[in-house]
Amino acid sequence: MTAREVVDLMKKTSNGNWSPQSTRDTFKVGNPDTEVKGIATTMMATFDMIQRAHAAGLNMVVTHEDTYWNDRDDTKDLTENTLYKRKTDFIEKNGMVIFRDHDHMHSMKPDFTVLGTLKAIGIKAGDEATMRPPIYTIPETTFAEFAARVKRMTGSRALRCAGDPNAKISRILIGPGYATPRMTPEADVVIGGEQQEADGVFDNIEYVMDAASLGQTGPRKAKCVIMLGHVISEQPGMEDMAAWLRTFLPPEIPIKFVLAEEPFW
Amino acid sequence: MTGISRRRFALLTGAAGATPFALAQGQGITAEAVIQRIQGALGGDWSGVPDGLKAGDASTVVRGIATTAMATLDVLKQAAAANMNLVLTCEPTFYGRGDGQAPAAVAAGRGRGAPGGVEQTDPVFLAKKEFIEKNNLVVFRLHDHWLARKENDMVAGLADSLGWSKYAVKGDDALFEIPAASAEATVAQIKTKMNLRGGLRAVGDKKAMVRRVLLFTGSMTPATMWKRYAETDMFVGGEVREWENTHYAADMFTAGEKRALVTVGRVVSQEPGMRLCAAWVKTVVREVPAKWIGAGDPYWRPA
Repeated sequence: MTAREVVDLMKKTSNGNWSPQSTRDTFKVGNPDTEVKGIATTMMATFDMIQRAHAAGLNMVVTHEDTYWNDRDDTKDLTENTLYKRKTDFIEKNGMVIFRDHDHMHSMKPDFTVLGTLKAIGIKAGDEATMRPPIYTIPETTFAEFAARVKRMTGSRALRCAGDPNAKISRILIGPGYATPRMTPEADVVIGGEQQEADGVFDNIEYVMDAASLGQTGPRKAKCVIMLGHVISEQPGMEDMAAWLRTFLPPEIPIKFVLAEEPFW
Repeated sequence: MTGISRRRFALLTGAAGATPFALAQGQGITAEAVIQRIQGALGGDWSGVPDGLKAGDASTVVRGIATTAMATLDVLKQAAAANMNLVLTCEPTFYGRGDGQAPAAVAAGRGRGAPGGVEQTDPVFLAKKEFIEKNNLVVFRLHDHWLARKENDMVAGLADSLGWSKYAVKGDDALFEIPAASAEATVAQIKTKMNLRGGLRAVGDKKAMVRRVLLFTGSMTPATMWKRYAETDMFVGGEVREWENTHYAADMFTAGEKRALVTVGRVVSQEPGMRLCAAWVKTVVREVPAKWIGAGDPYWRPA
């Protein structure tokens, strides 16, 4: 089966959640007519991840994020870039092919990136775990205790918190990657991947700093933010993506989740 | 009154046609007069920019001027306590580019359907506004026109905070050649000098020997990263997009390049430049004191 045929089957199985207009969900590099020996699902097609996929004999990569360091995988300014040439050469010489599945994943019900992270931090969820999920309620605890738990369970090295560590929290609102949700009156903690820190659509960070300054730390008043980092926030969902591909692709094609390393020290 | 100054005045007061030069009789200089002087000194067109009056009454007599990277409630409390009742802030006061406008007036997030703007009944928003009014503060956003100034005090301020000003390679560039140290040691130095808590994140080679450092404040585009990363040992700046510049730095590390990308946080990166802004304001407005108030590193790391 070729990579193109794999993608055709993905489209066919997508239940209408596939946008032909998407500029993200396309082949990025390699020949789509390559015979697929194995598929690696990953959060981000980093150079390191691609090398490990190749070593594992997986020549098709289904990546949630970009390959060439910009959202559109636009390479017109990169043709003379040494790193671009090295990465592309590695992919082409090893007969690999890279396909991005981003917009489709975020229109799935559930959205695996959201479901996976909820699961990773111990919150049971179902089909309601979409791009804009409801608020989940956990037993009340302090923000410091919850943040330490999230750090331990996600294995994140560079997780950042804003808000009062002593605040009493129980209502959790989560979003994947750059789709960090805005703080709402109903949420105590917003968990996201990354977000422009200020001068954006809604600046969570300044808001939670001001809430802390007002002494809003009691139950149903606390306002806190956890930034997991983009990779960590969408990583677990790519295991579910591998499982989804196994439900309709021929069993003789190995399909494995290949981790994208958290980039930070 | 010229067309530009009329527009400028309308921006300040929200009331075109009112009497200009509202110097309160014999009581000192008004916020409006201070702002007009700053606008005049910086020049340019002040329409269509995020800069402008965000809260308070422009006819208030100014007792002191505070500059800050972000007018958080904590910063406003410190300003009020220090008798600095005009606050010049680089970033928004009311939680986003709309700076206090209702959701209907603000564009939603990039295809995610997340609404922008602030509900006018939001308790945190209302408490902040009330604090500003009760303490007769005036808050003015000074962003685009301060950053557009050809003497780039944002980068100069950051270099000064790090003790690197004397290592500038060229006067008009943000490249510095600092005494050689490992990336790890350089990061430790940055944390100490900038008094950081948990916001700094580094990617790349910990063991890289760092000499050539490029500084940036606020956020950086991928184009700059692609163009200049290969000629430096380390980038130090505010924020980047993780699936773009961070990804690039990680791939460079995989390719064996001995470099590192360090982000300290958008607001933190702008603090030193706003400290220099206070010094500059003093040269334009001599009647009242001016000083910088730091918003601090918003982040902490869990145990």
